Amino acid sequence: MYTRSDSPAMTHDKKTRAHVPELLQQLGQPSAAGVDAVARHTGVPAADVFGVESFYSLLDQRDLKTRVCTGLSCRLAGAEDLLKACDKARLETAPTSCIAACDRPPAMLRERRVVCEVTTGDVLESQGSFEKLYSAAGSDWRGSIWPATADEGESLLNLAAAPNWSAAGYAKALEIGPEAVIQALEEAGLQGRGGAGFPAHIKWSAVRGEAEPVKYIVLNGDEAEPGTFKDREIMLRRPDLVLDGLAIAAHAVGAGEVWLYLRGEFEIPREIMERAVAAAEEEERYGDLAFHFHSGHGAYICGEETALLESLEGRRGMPRHKPPFPTAQGLWGKPTLIHNVETIALVPTILLRGAEFFRQAGKTQPGTKLYCLSGHVARPGVYEMPLGVSLDELVEAAGGYIGELKAFSPGGASSGFLPASERARPLDFQALAEVDSMLGSAGVVVLNEGVNMAWAAAEQLEFFERESCGQCAPCRIGTAYQRASLERFREDGDAQALEHVDNIAWEMIEGSICGLGQTASLPLTSALRHFPEDFVANSSGGAPQ
Amino acid sequence: MAGLVTTFGAGAMTNSIHEIREADFLFVIGSNTSEAHPIIAMEMKRAVRRGAKLVVADPRSIWMTTIADRHLPLKPGTDVWLLNAMAQVIIAEGLSDENFIAQSTEGYEALAERVANYTPEEAEKITGVAAADIRATARAYATTRKAGIYYTLGITEHTHGTDNVYALSNLVLLTGHLGSRSTGLNPLRGQNNVQGANDAGASPIFFPDYQSVGDPEIQAKYEAAWGCSLSSEPGLNLNQMMKVAGSKIRAFFIMGEDIVMSEPNVAVLEEGLNAMDFVVIQDIFLTETARFADVVLPAACFAEKDGTFTNSERRVQLVRKAVEPPGEARADWRILIDIARASGADWDYQSPADIYAELVHEAPNFAGISHERIDSEGIGLQWPCPTSDHPGTKFLHEGGVLRGKGLFQAVDYKPSVEIADSDYPLVLSTGRTLYHYNAATQTTRSAGLPEKQPEAFVELHRKDAGQRGISDGDLVEVLSRRGSLRCRAQVSRQVRRGCIWMPFHFADSRANLLTVDQGDAVTGTAEYKVCATEVRLLAAAAADDKTLFPGAFWGEPGGATSSAT
Amino acid sequence: MSAPDQILVDDQTLKFCPGETILDATRRAGCSLPTLCHDPRLEPVGACRSCLVEVKGQRRLMPACKTPASPGMQIETRNERVLRHQRVLLSLYLSDHVGDPSECEDGAPCELHALAKDLGNLPVLVPLQRKHKPRADRNPFIEFRSERCIACARCVRYCDEVEGVNAITLTGRGLHTTISTASGISLYDSTCELCGGCVDVCPTGAMAEKMPLSAGAAPERELEKVRTTCNYCGVGCQMDLNVDRAAAAGRGQVVKVTSPPAGTAPSDGNLCVKGRFAYDFIDHPDRLSTPLLRGADGNLHPASWEAALERTAAGLQEVAKKHGADALAFVSSARCTMEENYLVQKLSRAVFGTNNVHQCAAT
Repeated sequence: MYTRSDSPAMTHDKKTRAHVPELLQQLGQPSAAGVDAVARHTGVPAADVFGVESFYSLLDQRDLKTRVCTGLSCRLAGAEDLLKACDKARLETAPTSCIAACDRPPAMLRERRVVCEVTTGDVLESQGSFEKLYSAAGSDWRGSIWPATADEGESLLNLAAAPNWSAAGYAKALEIGPEAVIQALEEAGLQGRGGAGFPAHIKWSAVRGEAEPVKYIVLNGDEAEPGTFKDREIMLRRPDLVLDGLAIAAHAVGAGEVWLYLRGEFEIPREIMERAVAAAEEEERYGDLAFHFHSGHGAYICGEETALLESLEGRRGMPRHKPPFPTAQGLWGKPTLIHNVETIALVPTILLRGAEFFRQAGKTQPGTKLYCLSGHVARPGVYEMPLGVSLDELVEAAGGYIGELKAFSPGGASSGFLPASERARPLDFQALAEVDSMLGSAGVVVLNEGVNMAWAAAEQLEFFERESCGQCAPCRIGTAYQRASLERFREDGDAQALEHVDNIAWEMIEGSICGLGQTASLPLTSALRHFPEDFVANSSGGAPQ
Repeated sequence: MAGLVTTFGAGAMTNSIHEIREADFLFVIGSNTSEAHPIIAMEMKRAVRRGAKLVVADPRSIWMTTIADRHLPLKPGTDVWLLNAMAQVIIAEGLSDENFIAQSTEGYEALAERVANYTPEEAEKITGVAAADIRATARAYATTRKAGIYYTLGITEHTHGTDNVYALSNLVLLTGHLGSRSTGLNPLRGQNNVQGANDAGASPIFFPDYQSVGDPEIQAKYEAAWGCSLSSEPGLNLNQMMKVAGSKIRAFFIMGEDIVMSEPNVAVLEEGLNAMDFVVIQDIFLTETARFADVVLPAACFAEKDGTFTNSERRVQLVRKAVEPPGEARADWRILIDIARASGADWDYQSPADIYAELVHEAPNFAGISHERIDSEGIGLQWPCPTSDHPGTKFLHEGGVLRGKGLFQAVDYKPSVEIADSDYPLVLSTGRTLYHYNAATQTTRSAGLPEKQPEAFVELHRKDAGQRGISDGDLVEVLSRRGSLRCRAQVSRQVRRGCIWMPFHFADSRANLLTVDQGDAVTGTAEYKVCATEVRLLAAAAADDKTLFPGAFWGEPGGATSSAT
Repeated sequence: MSAPDQILVDDQTLKFCPGETILDATRRAGCSLPTLCHDPRLEPVGACRSCLVEVKGQRRLMPACKTPASPGMQIETRNERVLRHQRVLLSLYLSDHVGDPSECEDGAPCELHALAKDLGNLPVLVPLQRKHKPRADRNPFIEFRSERCIACARCVRYCDEVEGVNAITLTGRGLHTTISTASGISLYDSTCELCGGCVDVCPTGAMAEKMPLSAGAAPERELEKVRTTCNYCGVGCQMDLNVDRAAAAGRGQVVKVTSPPAGTAPSDGNLCVKGRFAYDFIDHPDRLSTPLLRGADGNLHPASWEAALERTAAGLQEVAKKHGADALAFVSSARCTMEENYLVQKLSRAVFGTNNVHQCAAT
């Protein structure tokens, strides 16, 4: 007898598959019956449903009520102690990758809601009840920003201002037409803020130029690069800019549907964005433009644009080969414009205040940049500064360093570590590339002299191993091998353990399909290069004080 | 075979298996492809993945319907109505290929007249298939250039099986869907060498290569070749042989068939076998039929002998000896030579290659094929292959219909010989499952398969089961006018209301105790697909008593049940 | 300017056809590029990374299996960069694999070890020594041995793209990526049709035939392969009987059935559950091994061939004499060979004089 779950993959409606993860999410703890139920409901083969379930950490272990963030900034702020406290309080928990709360560490996850600045006292007093823990710890997720007050002058995103629902940027786009919009981006020199810094107008022109009539806009709100939390802040404070930017993009490239992909832990930002979309649709602010939401389910790799598309289609988030690029064959094979939240949010301002104004706002490259500052600094937070400020300039605005600067990551875990001697280097796309690092998502993590770099690198390597999608061997095995090598060194103090690190790092760069594998060795190789003293035989690889 | 020989001039798949994946429209009728021909199903799946349209006509919701664009759930035995209605649509809507009809066919007028009244609306009443679906299928078939029809025993195992083949041929001739890649009419053969057995002349009316025994020239040719005089009288077909077993037929030589498993209405056949004067069985196992044998000759299986099989797509392929047969068992070809010599003939073949060479010597379509050539080219050759430098033929009728002109055969719907009534309200069809093969003499002796599918079952519709108080897994009795058997009920969404289905593999529950032994007028093939039955729930007490199984044999195979001695 | 249908591979000019990838073009020219996840029946995925080559003008190494050949493309397949990549990549694979080839290749040969041997000079990495949970599945045919799995997903893709039943999936993430049915149920309870295609396409023997392994059969490379035609349905799949010559008291034993390469007519290297796994009957104790004659006691008794043939000839001749040749009927078999069917009809017609010869497959 053939139930629908037996129907082969070739026949089900492709778009139905997109619902698989959220259907799984709605079920209780993982079970064969649940997988079957979702398979029957969607027509997707049961094995495929299970493949999806087992890929995403929030689906695979969805009965787990609490998680403790073990990102670098949270560890510096005592994440390990929180884990121990949870044990003591008999609160079932597990470590999780960075949850974009580095400015208010240590953070925990209550199902899919982030709880900031949790103390061991909060945990111990909860007596095993996560409800109690949740009510004890702060639930408002907004962090500190710079400029702290509304500023129409220098700031482009003006996070401190109240949302402005006039859709002036969209009106301007309708007025000047698609070609002029794209030209404005080109003149402004807008580079993608997700990490690669790719000129935005090239993608827009490409999608616009595709003959296929069905096109999509996808918002990449899967902000998961350790140390990064700016998109969170934009959505919490300025959903108006995001919607306006998306509508302008849809108008410019000729798309009729917009998908907002937000990471699963962004329950609060999603609620805010959903309210904003509901209001916009209510007043038909953007004509018949349709907005859809899709939540991630705990997989860092889905921030990679093609993995995100796979994930949005309800599959395992494994990156695709490029070419073809998403601009030609993206979501469901259609031309797709996919942008980071910050990039999209900058678009209305470029149209309203002009390309020239945007160019001038940067220091070494056009525009301002949201820098996410965390670690050993006085006031962690999101800093909108001219693109190309130095670390010292940035930290000065944040009230200075805590302790003596030893190292910093300029752009999240993927950018590796730079030594204090680079403190005056412009934090922009080009200058950082020159020292084999990158601006990435501008998640700037500052480490002081108390941090052992072997320890810091180990944490990052564990992260990449845990988050490798497993599709290609250089990354799947390489991340594990690098982590194991460093672990052997830290346990035995035997420098011999690190002898293949460079060779494997080379292969991970050459052989990996996507950026994750290509950059995953950087925390270790950069630490080895800049801080050899932390890797001499029998040096203590312990945690900081 | 006979149906296609009549209409097209060659009784075989028109196309190659590999071409299926390139088809743009596939019409699958009377074929549970994914279970009976998994490899063909793979080709079809490939086509569907590519975007081909698939229409499945079958009373059951078989697996193939899960990937089909359309499922035509016709009532068993109403194929001619469905196919004639499709022909009617093609003609009425001007979708036929008039050039092809004019230049390459004959008999069009008679067909057009005959099918005029077979409207889809009327067809819906008889077949149960919605008129709109019939129309849509006919249109899609007629308007797609690479359109292939695929069928198996669901078409042929009827008293009107040849009519069904004619009705399919008519669709092909109407649209000119013949003579190019992926386009044609394809019977999928159920056994490894169905094509080859027929090609080799194991037929009461044909010498090898479909050369008629009634043709004096052919007769003379073979008399010269074999050095003896030959009968020009057509022999009995299998169905006829079985009916007169023990009366007109007094001795059987049976090679590699388990007729008491495979032939219909076996209770009557077994009476006949008991009355035979002499029965020789040549097989690899002591089959159920061996209970009636006077002599049992131990044969080698396919892994223990050399030779050739010809597959569905007319490809002659080598069978190679890998291991020695057990004990004193011998290859069938060797035994046959031994019997001929013991009977006074001076047969002197050294190897299967010798025999094959003799076969093709008088068979023009195979003349270019030899064991040596297949071996050296490393791949089987597809007939027609008239000369040793001919590459073989991937699809038939390329340069025109082999018959000269395709022959339309106007046929009328004839109800099945037995239709459901108030005593026997359920229509039984029988068939094969993925995990077993025919009488299951091999598959029940292979590890794993019996565990996956250990026992006989009958599929019935939820409502039919409910009416009879039957639940899934209950032990039930299935009865027809000819006999009864017991098996497990499988309440299934696959069968339509009023229909039941059983596999024919299981010796303990022989579906052929129930089936009708009336054969097709042309081929003699029996009606395995339609017979009237009733299903009853068995009381729990009766269910426990194994001795009550009326479908089982009384004694062990080979026991003292034959009266022949 | 080069011709529109040519590419340059290691200074050798190759022609390519429209739609061909670099791999297609080089394979056709007989150049060997290493591959692990490639199978001509499957959509290329470029996941195993072993076929990466250097294409002039491209910053990154490109997967030959997924990169379309384009006019004038200049490709390096054996330069220092490509060879270093291959060596480090294979050493990574081997660090998470059964390291000893003879232990690894207890069943099918391992393509990974073969590539490593061909290439030579691999860096010797410390084995990762990952823990693997043995997975019990009550199906009797297919065993998954995760310690050999390289997550190339050939099996998963075959099950989807060729067999179309989607019984298995990639599961987990990162190093823990492996193969599973839905929720880890038995293949018996899944949509699997036990075609064994997953075993056939597996490059490393991770998906393996259970029966020869549990019977302690010799490794595949020590078996003799005999190409033949399947004896079940009418498709006529080509298959290789893997014979242990010394077994069964020297008669030889079929211990495994494997498929010929993809592209072999008529079945493209595919088999179904019966073809691949239902071969046990060959050596079944029920096989007839001696002629049997029915005795006066009504039972069948073993007899010599001489006696059996004599009785056969005499029995048939007697009936023909008494009732005429047309009282004989010869049932031939679509299960037997062409040659045997030919002989039966000749026996019927030429020796006994009747056209009463048929078999059950005449429609």
